[in-house]
Amino acid sequence: MASLQHSQAIKGAKVLMVGAGGIGCELLKTLALSDFQDIHIIDMDTIEVSNLNRQFLFRQSHVGQSKAKVARDAVLRFRPHINITPYHANAKDSNFNVDFFKQFNVVLNGLDNLDARRHVNRLCLAAEVPLVESGTTGFLGQVTVHVKGKTECYECQPKPAPKTYPVCTITSTPSKFVHCVVWAKDLLFAKLFGDKNQDNDLNVRSNDAARSPEHAGDAFEWSGNEDLEQYGRGIYDHVFGYNIERALSNEETWKNRNKPRPIYCRDVLPDRMTQQNGNVDKTDDLSSASAMASLGLKNPQDIWCLMENTKVFLEALKLFFTNRRKEIGNLSFDKDDQLAVEFVTAAANIRAASFNIPLHSLFEAKGIAGNIVHAVATTNAIVAGLIVIEAIKVLKKDTESYRMTYCLEHPSKKMLLMPVEPFEPNKSCCVCSKTPLSLEINTHRSKLRDFVEKIVKAKLGMNSPLIMHATALLYEVGDDLEENEIANYTANLEKVLSELPPPVIDGTVLTVEDLQQEFTCNIHIKHREEFDEEKEPDGMVLSGWTQAPPEKKDGKTSIGNGASTSKSLPTKLGITEIDNEVKEISDGTVSPGMKRKLSEFSDGSTVDQSSDVDETRNNKKTQKHDDDDDLDLVMLDHWDSNMSEKQRSP
Amino acid sequence: MSGGGIARGRLAEERKSWRKNHPHGFVAKPDNAQDGSLDLMVWKCIIPGKPGTDWEGGFFPLTLHFSEDYPSKPPKCKFPPGFFHPNVYPSGTVCLSILNEDYGWRPAITVKQILVGIQDLLDQPNPADPAQTDGYQLFVQDPTEYRRKVRQQAKQYPPAL
Repeated sequence: MASLQHSQAIKGAKVLMVGAGGIGCELLKTLALSDFQDIHIIDMDTIEVSNLNRQFLFRQSHVGQSKAKVARDAVLRFRPHINITPYHANAKDSNFNVDFFKQFNVVLNGLDNLDARRHVNRLCLAAEVPLVESGTTGFLGQVTVHVKGKTECYECQPKPAPKTYPVCTITSTPSKFVHCVVWAKDLLFAKLFGDKNQDNDLNVRSNDAARSPEHAGDAFEWSGNEDLEQYGRGIYDHVFGYNIERALSNEETWKNRNKPRPIYCRDVLPDRMTQQNGNVDKTDDLSSASAMASLGLKNPQDIWCLMENTKVFLEALKLFFTNRRKEIGNLSFDKDDQLAVEFVTAAANIRAASFNIPLHSLFEAKGIAGNIVHAVATTNAIVAGLIVIEAIKVLKKDTESYRMTYCLEHPSKKMLLMPVEPFEPNKSCCVCSKTPLSLEINTHRSKLRDFVEKIVKAKLGMNSPLIMHATALLYEVGDDLEENEIANYTANLEKVLSELPPPVIDGTVLTVEDLQQEFTCNIHIKHREEFDEEKEPDGMVLSGWTQAPPEKKDGKTSIGNGASTSKSLPTKLGITEIDNEVKEISDGTVSPGMKRKLSEFSDGSTVDQSSDVDETRNNKKTQKHDDDDDLDLVMLDHWDSNMSEKQRSP
Repeated sequence: MSGGGIARGRLAEERKSWRKNHPHGFVAKPDNAQDGSLDLMVWKCIIPGKPGTDWEGGFFPLTLHFSEDYPSKPPKCKFPPGFFHPNVYPSGTVCLSILNEDYGWRPAITVKQILVGIQDLLDQPNPADPAQTDGYQLFVQDPTEYRRKVRQQAKQYPPAL
C-alpha cells in the first residue's frame, strides 16, 4: 500500500529542475530512473568541453549545444516514454513567473550561483511550491528542503561574505601564499595592466631616481620606447627590492615577524634573457600567448625555482606589451587567461620567496587566484540522489521526515552523510516573513544610485526593482519603460535622497519590490551623519537583513580575491556547483565548515553561537577542542551569530 | 498624504502587471506630480479607438484618479472636459456601470479591464444612462451627424508622435 502511494506520488508529479550541469545531469538521470514522468528543465548554458568529465549526459559532439535539450535527448534514449520539457533560457527570464512556477509540485535546484538561487527561492515562496535546494564544492555537498511556512527559506540564514584580507597583510606582511597571490593579482597585476584610475594600494615611488631621468613620473609607466626587459627589471627591482627595503626600515613591523629579504633581478638573473635563450624572436601563436611556452616550461604542476619565476615574470610582462598592448589599461585578472595566470604565479612566487613562504606551482596558484575547487563527480551523484529522496518526501507530504543533508569530506563518527532536521522559518527573515528592514544612511549625501547599487542590488539581490515612497515611484528599470520615464528615473539616480521628489528623509519608509520575484520589502530610513570608512565602507548600514557576520579582523578592506574577475555579486553560498571544469567559491579558500555540537541542535534553545563561530572560523585547530564524545555536526554555511533565535521544527 | 497602505500596494501590483503585459495601443502610467515625482495615485492613460469603428484613428487621453479607498472604491476616470460621448459628463468624467461603486464596481477589476471597458463603451454608448445633452441627443436623433462628430473628434486626437 505504501509503495503504491509512493509510486503514485512520483508518477503524478510535475517537477521543475533548474540547472542541467554537474548536479543537473545526475539529477535528471536519477529522476528518470525513479519513475518520474513529467520533468521540466531550465538551463541557459551550452555544453563546453570542460563539462564532459562529469556531466555524463553530454558527449564531445554536443559541445556548443543547449544543456537542457541535450540532457533531455540523452535521457529519453533510455526512458523513451516520459515527458521532459527543456528550456534553453535563463531562470530569471520574466516568462518564468509565479504562474509558471505554480504548475509544479516541487522545484529542484542544481544551480551555480547565489543570485539565481535567491531568485528561485523567492518565486517558490510566492508560488507556494516546495523547493529542494542543493550545492556541491569538491567533496562537500548539501541538500536542503524549503517549504513555505514549514521550514526556513533559502534566505532565512546568512550566506558567507567573500573572504577578504586586511590591506596591511597584503601590502606589507604576507604570511601565507594566498596573501602573495592576492597581492600579485589585485595590486601588481591591476596596477600594471588594469584601469589606471582605480585606487591601488601598491607602494610606488613617484620620483624614481634610480631610473633614467626622463622617467621622473610614475615608475610603472612604460615610456613606449624603453627596452621591455629593462622595463620589466625596473618593475621587478621596485616591487621585490626597493619596496621590501623600505618596509624593512620600519623596525617596529618586524619585531615579532620574520623579516623579508629584498630580491633584485640582477642577483637572480644576471644576464639578459635575450642573450640566454634564442627563442625571443619566435612569434608563433603558442609562445606569444604563453610565457611558459616561449620559455620551454611544460608542466603546470611543477614548482618553479626563483630564477624560473623571474624569467616567467619578465617574459609574461614582455608578452603583454608586445602582443596585447591594446588591452593594457582595461585588463582584469581572469583565471582563464593563461598569460595573466603565469604573470600572477611568478609574481606571487617571487614575493613568497622574499617572505620565506613556500612556493607553489602554476596549477595551485591558478586555483587560489581563481577561487577554484575541483569538482568531484561522485559528490554530484550523491547530492542528486539526496535531492530525489527529499523530493519524494515532499510529494508525499511526509513533513516529519524532511532532512537537510550535508556531505562531508571526512567521516565524522563514521558518517559521511549528515542528516539534520530542518529549521523553522526565521521570523525575522525579510524574504519569507516580510519583516521590515532599517537603513542608516546620510540622506543629505547619499544618492539614490548608491541606495540602488549597494542595497537594492547588492544586498537584496533584486533584478528589476521598483522603489516607492508612499505612492510616488522613485525608480524602476525595464525595457518596457518609455523614454520620458527613463529620463525621469535616470535623473533621480543622481539626486541625493533628501532632494528627491518627494524627499527621502529620516523616518521615511521606502518600499522596494521586484517586478519578477514577487518580493517586497519595506525599509525604514534613519538619517545618520557620519560613517566609519573602514568598518562601514558602503556609507550605509542595513539592519534586520540576515547577513554573514564580518570577518573578525582589524583593518579589513575590500581587497577580496575573486572580486576583480566577477562582474556579478561576489556572493555565493558556501557550497556551490559551478559549471566549469573546476568549481569556484568566492571566498577564496575552501570553507572549513562550521562545526556545531549535536547537543546544541538538540536543546535548540538559547545557545549564543557568536563567540564559538568566530573561534572556529578563524582557527581550524581549535575546532576539535574538548568534549570529543559529542557528535560533531559540520555546517557548511557560515552560521548566524544570533543562533539563539533558531529553533528546530517540531 | 498617508502611506496609502492598501491602495499603494494594489497600485504597485497594477503597475507591475501592466508593465508585464498590456493591450496593444493602450498607455497607462503614473503621472508627474507638481514636485516632479511620479505619483501612483494619478495615471495618465491613452485609449485607442477600436479599429473598424468611427473611433478608429483616435488616441483618447484619459486620466484615472485613485483615492485612498481604492480598491474598495473605483477610480474616477476622466476624458478632457467637453469630450463628445453620450455617457461622458461635461466635466469629462466617464459614466460606466463598472466604475460605479453602487453598481458594477468590484475591487478585483483591474486597470486593464477598466481601460478595455471604456474602449468598448466608446462605440457602444448606453442611451439608458445619458451624461451629456449634445452627444445623447445626436445619438438618438441624428445618427449621421453623430457619426460625423465622432469621426471629427477622432482626428483631434492623433497618435502621439
